[in-house]
Amino acid sequence: MTLYLTHLIFLTLSLVILYILRHKSNISRYHNFISLFSFVISLSIFLKRDLLLGTKVQLIEVFDKVSITFYLDEIGIIFLLVSNFLWFLTSLYASRYLVLNDYNNQNIFYIFFLFAMLATNGIIYSENLFTIFIFYEILTLSTYPLVTLKKNEDSLKSGKKYLFILLGTSVIFLLPAIIVTYSVTGSISFSEPIPFSGVSEIILIITMLLFIFGTAKSAVMPFHKWLPSAMVAPTPVSALLHAVAVVKSGVYILTKIFLLIYGAGVSSMTSMQVFVVVICFTIVASSVIALRQDSIKLRLAYSTIGQLSYILLGIIILAPLSILAALLHFIFHAFGKIVLFLSAGIFATNFKVKNVSEMDGLATIAPLTCFSMTVGALIMIGLPPTIGFISKWYLLLGLSSSEEYLAISVIIISTLLNAGYYLPMIYKVYFNDGTNANSKIREDIFLVTPVFLVTLIGIMMFFLSTPIVSFVQQIGYMQ
Amino acid sequence: MSQIPVLILILPLLFVPIIILMRMFKVSYLIIVVSSVLNFLLITILTINVFTNGVVFYELGGWPPPIGIRLNADMLSCLFLMLIGFMNLVCIISCKEIVEKTVSSSKVYLFYIAWLLCNTGFTGIILTDDIFNMFVFLEISSLSSYYLISQGNQKKSTFAALQYLFIGSIGAIFVLFAIGLLYMITGTLNMQDLTKQLAVVEEKQIILFAIVFLLAGVGIKSALFPLHGWLIKTYAYSPSIVTTYFSGTSTKIGIYIFFRVFLDILNNIGPLTLFSLSDILIALSSIGVVLITYYAIKQTDVKKMLAYSSVGQLSYIFIAMILYIPDGITASLVHVINHSIIKTSLFLTLTLLFISKKEVLLTDLAGLSSKQPIVTSCFLIMSLALVGLPLTAGFISKWYLILSLIQSKYWMFTSIVVLTSFMTLFYVWKMIDQVYFKENSNGEMFELKKHQFIPIAFLTLLIIYLGIETSLTVGVSQSIAYDIIYGVI
Repeated sequence: MTLYLTHLIFLTLSLVILYILRHKSNISRYHNFISLFSFVISLSIFLKRDLLLGTKVQLIEVFDKVSITFYLDEIGIIFLLVSNFLWFLTSLYASRYLVLNDYNNQNIFYIFFLFAMLATNGIIYSENLFTIFIFYEILTLSTYPLVTLKKNEDSLKSGKKYLFILLGTSVIFLLPAIIVTYSVTGSISFSEPIPFSGVSEIILIITMLLFIFGTAKSAVMPFHKWLPSAMVAPTPVSALLHAVAVVKSGVYILTKIFLLIYGAGVSSMTSMQVFVVVICFTIVASSVIALRQDSIKLRLAYSTIGQLSYILLGIIILAPLSILAALLHFIFHAFGKIVLFLSAGIFATNFKVKNVSEMDGLATIAPLTCFSMTVGALIMIGLPPTIGFISKWYLLLGLSSSEEYLAISVIIISTLLNAGYYLPMIYKVYFNDGTNANSKIREDIFLVTPVFLVTLIGIMMFFLSTPIVSFVQQIGYMQ
Repeated sequence: MSQIPVLILILPLLFVPIIILMRMFKVSYLIIVVSSVLNFLLITILTINVFTNGVVFYELGGWPPPIGIRLNADMLSCLFLMLIGFMNLVCIISCKEIVEKTVSSSKVYLFYIAWLLCNTGFTGIILTDDIFNMFVFLEISSLSSYYLISQGNQKKSTFAALQYLFIGSIGAIFVLFAIGLLYMITGTLNMQDLTKQLAVVEEKQIILFAIVFLLAGVGIKSALFPLHGWLIKTYAYSPSIVTTYFSGTSTKIGIYIFFRVFLDILNNIGPLTLFSLSDILIALSSIGVVLITYYAIKQTDVKKMLAYSSVGQLSYIFIAMILYIPDGITASLVHVINHSIIKTSLFLTLTLLFISKKEVLLTDLAGLSSKQPIVTSCFLIMSLALVGLPLTAGFISKWYLILSLIQSKYWMFTSIVVLTSFMTLFYVWKMIDQVYFKENSNGEMFELKKHQFIPIAFLTLLIIYLGIETSLTVGVSQSIAYDIIYGVI
């Protein structure tokens, strides 16, 4: 039995165990342990990747040439490591966060958090579009109870929007796109893709458009509204799921579709510019909206929408350097954004600060959190010495090599806009004297530790970026 | 072995006089259970036999056709027989308490007799090889179903039965006209003989008349879009268990007649290509799906909502069928099976939860999850299957439906089907919303007994099983579809 199937079985069994133990008070410890073990498994998968890459396990053939099959490739390994590592740290954070915020239905939280991570890992290991679609829907359904965890009017309303946009787009756009792919090429597999041939360009473009809007988890406008409304969820959910696992699943699916199913042969089409325009619009519009948000979480959410489109832009251009940039940003954005969200959670939990306007002078009472937030913000803006700079560098290189001048100017504008909404936050916490400075409350050490750990790793990654870049570069899709 | 087709028909008819003689409701229940189990066993044996050795014939009285009447079991009939037999069995097993609550005890035996006759009518329609016999069995099942519907113990159910009686009779007359016309030009009633004769007939006009009459008549029986009015009232006001039974059987029989008449008997003429009938029908059904889904969203009565949903799903089945490509016919047959199971299980769950209620409003569902968590999970899975989410049976049929529409390049209808299938979520959501997020129901929620939970759990597992392992549904339907299109049947 291959290691990654063991991983999925382990997660499934843990889900059952967690359900059985749902009335126990120390359920968070089990969850911590499960996430740690899951990370260890992913690490060993990474170390043994030479043996595992490209191996396939077919679970069941549902019907002709459509099966539930798992396999592992390099892009999957990246996502696997990132999500499982951050899951472990987030679960440490969550076990404290939920206690401090008096959530009384913790068992629901942990069960569905694990369920969502199971679905994410399922997406990572999926071999074909059918399997990925199944886990995509499971991910939507399993995160719904997390969004509506508070069960008040507001969260139910947001939850409904969340569910309807995500399910609706996947059913209306993604499923037909998959079926068109199946009907035209006769294969929906990633490992043995059959290129689109003999299809008119119109159909090809429409299918791609359906794919892009169908995976609304990647939050391309106009189907991005679910992400801001998902912010009613507790912070660990926003941090891990709505900055890493869920949104990255959308991007991951699109990455695989564009790199593996369409392949590089498509890039020559001039009509691909449609997507570049759509994505550029998303980047700029989300940044402009983010500027006007006072709520920290909403500002971060809109920032996420823009950053996801960076990744998509890199993928869609389909130039070797831009793909490298996209995959790097895939990793780096995860680290930066999770730090930002978790810091925002600390502000809200310890100091009851939920809006940017209330952040004055937080640095004196929460130095570590503010430091982490600063690093996260710099990653988002893409300033050295943070990892955000590396991915932006390669992205600009890739864009200029394929002469995408519109995209280049959009990246520059959006960098300025990013700076426009992140720098005031940094300025406020360090240089403004507010009522916060005199507060007796200090940041909670159990909350800060995991955040600070991620921050340190984020900084270290900048100085040790060469192995990461060369690993990503190895990925065989760069001709 | 060749006796089995006739045994399937005769055995229930033998049990009927026994029930009349006994008249005690416990004994009559026992008899009908025995009869249903036997019926299902015989059908299973017959099906296995047909799938291994090919078509089984039985000539009544030893008279060969076209003079004698013949029973005929091929793969298509076996598929529908299995479905009807299974649905009947499930409903009968779980109906004891419900019937005792809804039907006055002096009439219980009559109720069971009507049920047996109705089921016999259904199986007869499927098994017969004689088009006039098909009409006779159709009438047997219709007449007994009027009785079943009227047992809803409220004024409205009498009206519903009466309305169904009128409309159903009109439909029957249409069918009779069509049969008469076909008999007039061919001089035969045997289906296979008819197929041969029709191929050489000159009077295409008369065949067209027959087709139109059949379309109207069978359209009424299977509640196709503009002819669906009776179904809503019938489902809403007949006894819940009858609704449960009909949701999986009665309209599917209409679909079977469509298959038998249009895709088997008239197949050589290509009835759907005449006057581009198929385009008109697909367009009509698509409009129907949109309207019906909209009505379904607006309902506050759960049974009516599900009834509208049934009409919508039947339109999907119909659209897929008249595309007349292998994957379309596969989609149609698969959806017949899957939708029967899903809808029956939804109705059954509602019936068992609200045994003594005549009307189930959406608000009655409120707070179900806190009282019956496990049943609610089953209900959730069934509802999601209705929407067509993956890992449920509904997804498989949706996949094939969209696939066949794409293959036929009906882009507009594809988008309509995709959109309406998403709109399903809106009315399903209204139920889920009540079940999970609304508190404090004033309606009485019955504690389910253990044995009542078994059929619900079984059907839920079946829905998931058919969503993962499809060789039973897709595999069989596919071979039937290829037989129809490439003409072996």
